[in-house]
Amino acid sequence: MALPVMKNYINGEWVESDSKTFGDVWNPAKGEKIARVAYGTRADVDQAVKAARAAFWEWRATPPLSRARYLFRLKDAFEENFEDIAKVLTREQGKVIDEARGEVRRMIENVEHATGVTTLMCGYTLEDIAKDIDCKGHRQPVGVFAAIAPYNFPAMVPWWFLPYAIVSGNTYVLKPSEQVPMTQTKIFEILDSVGFPEGVVNMVHGSKEVVNAILDHPDIAGVSFVGSSPTAKYIYERCGATGKRVQALGGAKNIVAVMPDAKLDAAMPSLITSYYGCTGQRCLSGSILTPVGDVADALLEKFTAAAQSIQMGDGLDEKTSMGPVVSAAHKQRVLGYIEKGIAEGAKLILDGRQAKVADLPNGFFVGPTIFDEVSPDMTIAREEIFGPVVSVVRCKNMNDVVELINSRGFANAACIYTSSGASAREFKYRVKPSMVGVNIGIAAPMSFFPFGGAGQSMFGDTKGHGQEIFNFFTDTKVVIERWL
Amino acid sequence: MPLQNFGSILNFAEELESQDQRFYEAAAGNPACAAHQELFVQLAAEAAKNVKTVQRIRREYVTEMILEPVRDFTRASFCEACEGAAVQAAAEVLATAKRLESRAERYYTEAADKIKALTEVARALKTLGKIRKVRSAKLAPLG
Repeated sequence: MALPVMKNYINGEWVESDSKTFGDVWNPAKGEKIARVAYGTRADVDQAVKAARAAFWEWRATPPLSRARYLFRLKDAFEENFEDIAKVLTREQGKVIDEARGEVRRMIENVEHATGVTTLMCGYTLEDIAKDIDCKGHRQPVGVFAAIAPYNFPAMVPWWFLPYAIVSGNTYVLKPSEQVPMTQTKIFEILDSVGFPEGVVNMVHGSKEVVNAILDHPDIAGVSFVGSSPTAKYIYERCGATGKRVQALGGAKNIVAVMPDAKLDAAMPSLITSYYGCTGQRCLSGSILTPVGDVADALLEKFTAAAQSIQMGDGLDEKTSMGPVVSAAHKQRVLGYIEKGIAEGAKLILDGRQAKVADLPNGFFVGPTIFDEVSPDMTIAREEIFGPVVSVVRCKNMNDVVELINSRGFANAACIYTSSGASAREFKYRVKPSMVGVNIGIAAPMSFFPFGGAGQSMFGDTKGHGQEIFNFFTDTKVVIERWL
Repeated sequence: MPLQNFGSILNFAEELESQDQRFYEAAAGNPACAAHQELFVQLAAEAAKNVKTVQRIRREYVTEMILEPVRDFTRASFCEACEGAAVQAAAEVLATAKRLESRAERYYTEAADKIKALTEVARALKTLGKIRKVRSAKLAPLG
């Protein structure tokens, strides 16, 4: 049977790319191809940008409340199709269905937050800045924006940006990850049913050629990106060279510190989820586990037992608590890091390399893995693995913890488990990462707070969602006014 | 089959509510139950509403994933046969109705306890359990 081919969505219509290059979309639990996607071309991007540019002036002149009403309708349509989106997501990405539901929820929350445009986009004014002179700051939309999205959250991440951009009066071009194009295709089918004016929202599938076409296109005003740090840096530099606004969110090496006074039993569910939720493929996942002082042995005993209780399988199966990694290539990459850990002398206390799931022999599964006795200079303590691999680096005290965290280069998130307010305060005060959890394993800001890191984890200065996102998508035009 | 995570617990709740809705709809159409028709119509409507409520809980309360499986909680002890409501005698239908209400109350109470780490979900399930308790009280004097 012929596999479905993902189409672009340009100017309110589903169109096929002229590209002759295609990629395969996989069900990672079964290790089988389920769709194909055309790797779009510069011509596809240009067509989408032309449509977005043509739609801009009428859309930007549409009252903000009217623009918000499209989002209200979209939210309702998303709620009606909630389970369908979650199932498509699980099928192509591999995460378990509850995780997919959580992701779709977070996507919708961004739509909900963006509907507050009539408050959030307001400018400001001050009378009498000089004799008989008033000053007004109007926030105006800028033009065409674009997003380049990653594979780990195919539903949610594009919607950290898209609803805010369009509700502010901009128009949009989205490039989903070529590894997981089906989820946004489903979402755009729903979006199409809401009846946005043609050209306001467009989608082009593809790979590097589409990325470079977006970065170079003179009619794109700004780009939002989420992915690895090397690519984020590349995006940032190339956008800088072409004078674009840019927010490029990169990778992470998140550390979770567990203090001797932590309540281990209460902590364990969120702690274990931090490392193995979404099979470790999220930029907020714990990667290094840092027991402080004499808590180490008790912590590792409970943590290892909890990791062993995780049931791998197809994310659509209700019994599954951890799915596969996204691709065969990524599985090999994760396994490569485990080999490096062994070669560099870390002690492997839980080995996920041979993990198998009955009836799914071809799935891209890597089991929960734990290394103890990891030193900060080992590869597995420095590089982003993006899989279910935990590196335990034991620390003596808070100073060691802070030094370890602030020496990673990445500075996305850091978490602490403690019963001490003083320890929590010192931790959140001194660590460099921008997203901090206190007795929280995944320090994920919700849509009304900004999402993004520091250091090598973030290139650009305006983060995803939150109130600040309206700064990224608007220009504050200052009018100084005197009537003679 | 084990009920070991958020999704499976809510999916089973949806199954229970749907089963109850079908049962009460059939009972409402049973001439032998004419004396209780109004009540059965009301209970069917409430079950239909509860299906939506359970779906909403599943959509809106996925705020934190719990990877550790819920233990010692299975479907088997909550499965009830309830076919034949359209043709059975009123006493038989009422007896089944009481069993279904009691089963649902027990399910929601136990499920809320099993999933207490997700406090909003636990609270919502407890509320559904309370609704079932009220319904049981309505049925108790009948038959």
